[in-house]
Amino acid sequence: MDEAVFHRLYHRTARPLRAYLIRACGDLALADDLLQESYLRFLRSGFEGEDDDHRKNYLFRIATNAMRDHFRRKRPETDEVPERDYSPGHDDAVHLRSDVGGAMSELSANDRQMLWLAYVEGSSHEEIATALGLRAASIRSMLFRARQRLAAKLHSKGLHPDGEAT
Amino acid sequence: MKHQSCAHEDAVAAAARTGEWTSELRAHRDGCMTCAELTLVVAALAADAKQLADDAVPLPDPGIIWFRAQLAEREHRYRRATRAIVWVQRATIAVAVAVGLAFAPGLWALIGRFMAGLDLGSAVAELPQVADSPTLVLITSLLVLGGLALWELTAAQEN
Repeated sequence: MDEAVFHRLYHRTARPLRAYLIRACGDLALADDLLQESYLRFLRSGFEGEDDDHRKNYLFRIATNAMRDHFRRKRPETDEVPERDYSPGHDDAVHLRSDVGGAMSELSANDRQMLWLAYVEGSSHEEIATALGLRAASIRSMLFRARQRLAAKLHSKGLHPDGEAT
Repeated sequence: MKHQSCAHEDAVAAAARTGEWTSELRAHRDGCMTCAELTLVVAALAADAKQLADDAVPLPDPGIIWFRAQLAEREHRYRRATRAIVWVQRATIAVAVAVGLAFAPGLWALIGRFMAGLDLGSAVAELPQVADSPTLVLITSLLVLGGLALWELTAAQEN
């Protein structure tokens, strides 16, 4: 991959990838660090991919692994992304500045990642399973339950299907 | 209202993301709890994603990421290219140390005699006999090389 191709891929994928990382880890500064780490790993892997979508999926997988590695280093006993990160530098405003962010922050890390990949990125169950290291067969039911949990949180904040708040 | 998996989920999710509803799909959504819930979640997440994507906070400079990747790649290539040379150097040092250790008792005796009577002739003549065990040289070399290999492996894992 040459520099021009990389720049094009970066401009196409960096904002969605950062949005995913912000919602998944809840820390803007950390999301930017993980974003850079993800692109570095991507370049070092030498992955070419069939097209931009293939490269984008691969990037999201790398980002998920980078995030997991980060929290594993912080807390060696687990590789789970914490429910909420209360460490210094955690940006509460990122979660709380929108009702959706607030609702998402009350979910588990797996729920957050799964919902974002499925409904924002439009990833298939197989792609989600690969990114999160889960079995593809269990994604459908896990996604269904995660969706129910988020819907309940959104309802409790007064959000409804058409978007009008009550 | 039913609350289970629905065959229209994909179409509803796409409509909720784009905001383009057909009247049939909208009617279905209003009668299906699963699709109503799906609509709420997808529309909320899509709005949130748009808000985050439109954020004015600038992205990290891709030029710096590219540069760092090039540096890392160059360092990796350098390490790979010099690995054989480094190993030959280490092996040479290991053999030199092993030979030195094998000769040590003879050298010690040589120094002792040199100091005692400065009779160099007989001591030098005895030197090869002291180092007459090639097995000792081999074992010492292997021990030193093994230590170096272990060190290399540990350093590679840390990197």
